[in-house]
Amino acid sequence: MEELVDKALDYASKRSKFAEVRFASSTRNVVLTKNGTISATGYSVDSGLAIRVLDNSVAFSSINIPEWNRVRDEIDRALMMAKKHGRNRFSNENPVKDSWQVDQIKRIEDVSFEERVSQLKGIDNLLIDEKISMRILALNDNVEEEYNVNSEGLSLRSKLPKISFFAMIGFMENGNFEQGTVELGYSGGYEALGEWKLDKRVKHESDVLKSAARAKKLKDGVYDLVAGPEISGIVAHESCGHPTESDRILGREMAQAGESFIKKNDKGKRVGSDVVNLVDDPTLEHSFGFYRYDRDGVKSRKRYLYKNGLINEFLSNRESAGRLDVKSNGASRSSEWDKEPLVRMSTTYIEPNDHTYEELIEDVKDGIYMKSFTEWNIDDIRFNEKYVGREAYHIQNGELKETIKRPVIETTTINFYSSIDAIGKDLEFSAGSCGKGDPMQGVDVWMGGPHIRLRNLNVR
Amino acid sequence: MEIEKIYEKLEKKVDQAAVKLSRSRITQIRFSNNMIDISNEWNEELASVFLAKNGRTFIFDLKSEKDLEKIVPRSLAAMENIEKNSDFISLNDKKNVYRKKRIKNEKLREVDSQEFVSGFVDELKPFVKRLGGVFYKKEIVEAIKTPFNSGSEEQFGVEFVSRVFNDHDYPVQISFTSSSDDDLPALMKRGNEALGLSRRVKNIKDGREGKFNVIFSPLCFASLVSYTAPMASAFQIDSGMSMFADRMGERIGSSLFTLYDDPTDDSMLNSKTFDDEGTSTRKTPVIEKGIVKNFLHNFSTAKKYSVETTGNAGIISPSPWQISVEPGSEDVDDMIASTKKGLFINNTWYTRFQDYREGILSTVPRDGIFYVENGEITESWGGIRISDSLLHMYKNIEGISRETEKVKWWDETMHTKSPYVAVADVNISRSK
Repeated sequence: MEELVDKALDYASKRSKFAEVRFASSTRNVVLTKNGTISATGYSVDSGLAIRVLDNSVAFSSINIPEWNRVRDEIDRALMMAKKHGRNRFSNENPVKDSWQVDQIKRIEDVSFEERVSQLKGIDNLLIDEKISMRILALNDNVEEEYNVNSEGLSLRSKLPKISFFAMIGFMENGNFEQGTVELGYSGGYEALGEWKLDKRVKHESDVLKSAARAKKLKDGVYDLVAGPEISGIVAHESCGHPTESDRILGREMAQAGESFIKKNDKGKRVGSDVVNLVDDPTLEHSFGFYRYDRDGVKSRKRYLYKNGLINEFLSNRESAGRLDVKSNGASRSSEWDKEPLVRMSTTYIEPNDHTYEELIEDVKDGIYMKSFTEWNIDDIRFNEKYVGREAYHIQNGELKETIKRPVIETTTINFYSSIDAIGKDLEFSAGSCGKGDPMQGVDVWMGGPHIRLRNLNVR
Repeated sequence: MEIEKIYEKLEKKVDQAAVKLSRSRITQIRFSNNMIDISNEWNEELASVFLAKNGRTFIFDLKSEKDLEKIVPRSLAAMENIEKNSDFISLNDKKNVYRKKRIKNEKLREVDSQEFVSGFVDELKPFVKRLGGVFYKKEIVEAIKTPFNSGSEEQFGVEFVSRVFNDHDYPVQISFTSSSDDDLPALMKRGNEALGLSRRVKNIKDGREGKFNVIFSPLCFASLVSYTAPMASAFQIDSGMSMFADRMGERIGSSLFTLYDDPTDDSMLNSKTFDDEGTSTRKTPVIEKGIVKNFLHNFSTAKKYSVETTGNAGIISPSPWQISVEPGSEDVDDMIASTKKGLFINNTWYTRFQDYREGILSTVPRDGIFYVENGEITESWGGIRISDSLLHMYKNIEGISRETEKVKWWDETMHTKSPYVAVADVNISRSK
């Protein structure tokens, strides 16, 4: 296959200002159960050539038929499309020659379907014992291998294995319904299952739903809020990671996921209190969004998006960095081999600081501890957002009291970050699929942070 | 890849096999701030295979015939050791006859994607601050082979979306999809429509909280029903995560409201003549005059529910093909003119549920939120959220237009034909 890739690159390079050819294969396994029934077991092998050329504009073409004549036809079509006037500037980057992979202790290839099914059935039986009547469980894995070359001399080989677990569960009692999810992801092998402690997590989630179904709403009002790592994570992702994506800032997603409240000259503007530091870091070992080089072949690194409450850095790929006349900071990703690379997050989190959980709680007179969320959303400039609590408790005089049913925070990005007065020293991550692009590309991410405390938020 | 060859290699090794082979050529032009960002082209083949043996089932996707030698033994070995799938009964074992599609798309095929986008930008940019969007041209040939049925069909059509920002940088959005030459004039008028909508923008303000009568545009209402129709899948009903669960025959909407899954409308891109197990497709009322009428079934889920399959396989999970909302008798201009105090909302996104059973959700309106007073648009809003439930909103439908539009937008909106829909007392919230 590498011979075909090199031939395609040679052909495209001679006919464009820049050419890139990537061969990628993805082998996925999936097991899905619904209320105890094995609904789906299966796998897929997906591979093909992705070709990107730059001339008067950028064109991307993909083909999964590994025949030279068909590949050449696709390149010709891409070359023809790239003749049309459009945007055509990439940042200058040094081409690298390297290879990388994530090691597995318990290799995906050595795990049988029987074992995968057995894992899910074990979890399902636990949930039955907990009287959780609605249960959709999924265990997926994927091994992605890639050979990426471009006309500037880039040559990268990589192998990235991943495991993910998803549970959606629902509990009904006396007409009161509560729903919840558990999402976990890991770059590596099936040793992930040992680290995840699925039994404990799922048991906890079922306890949360039962407690919430019996809980009452709290009176609307202004409260202090202690938010758990899951809340820190979703906020970091939605209202820091997304608005600092430079393609959004430049308007490239304007007709889909939208733009950003941040403008291209806004670096240094205040968005939060000075204890607020937000990071996106693709280099965290075994994180779900891990990569050593991005899709453009740029080496990954940790990035401070907000620093001391100020806008600090934008996420970029070669295309957006070229438009901003800066170097790319390695945020180019695509969900599958046949999708164009876009500016994406990896692991986005609020950086831990100095408070213990106990210190955060004990200084709250009348407040809410919101540990996890259910419904959430945010507007298309990433400014007006809503988070509805799933596991939440009333705090009175520094002590946790009764469970609260679905408290709602509807606030703005600046109000949220400006209300933070203390940040915990703990750090936890949860997994997710981040949606962006057209066609939609869901990429694997982690999001997280420590416990954080906010003062005087409207809650209903 | 050839479907017969794939099927032959499977049929003697299992009790039942279904092979669906898709060949697609898709062209996409993305543009923003008046300029083309990228031209994309996908040229791919995909075989989706379902196997059943001794009550056990297995699925795999195949993109190269030569991978069969590796995948088939692996699949059969896996099937030996997994539990039976008690949800699966059989593929449809009756011979099905497929209708012939009414295709008229020669002129639509001639539309050059890049030229269309450039022309659209040139037409609008003298009158607006900036615009962006996406144009798709999709051509898919699909074939099905099961022990009992076989067939093939073509899908062709275009999808177009543009978001247009006026001089105050307030956006509106238009959407279009069609498979028919009959709609070509409508495609060519999208520029006028976008400008017309943009010119209605005035007095831009932060929105207010409260209960409002809302007129939803076809694009916006399509978004709501795009979250509703998949919940009618028997898989979703079985899982319990659906507002349709335990509500068959119940009233969940106003008597004005009828919602179909309609793969038989060949003027739309996702029209289908057979489903993934070879059943011929049909128009299925999901909600009829406000009453839950049908769930969406494949052969196995239909047997479980003692009904006929609706031709919506997905063999694992039935799903809708394309949605149609029954038009009403009102004129949209009259609907706006008769609004004393209310909203006209053109689009929404980021719909999320806190309670699938009751359909409790919030969604974020965008691209034209107009406050209407005494029949006139007096303000254009931003920063609001619909925080309500589908059940409450569907029960409060008070008027439906006779005009309909065919829309498709990104992942938010399925292929849908929808009218304008007026709903009373919609709860609007905002950030504090």
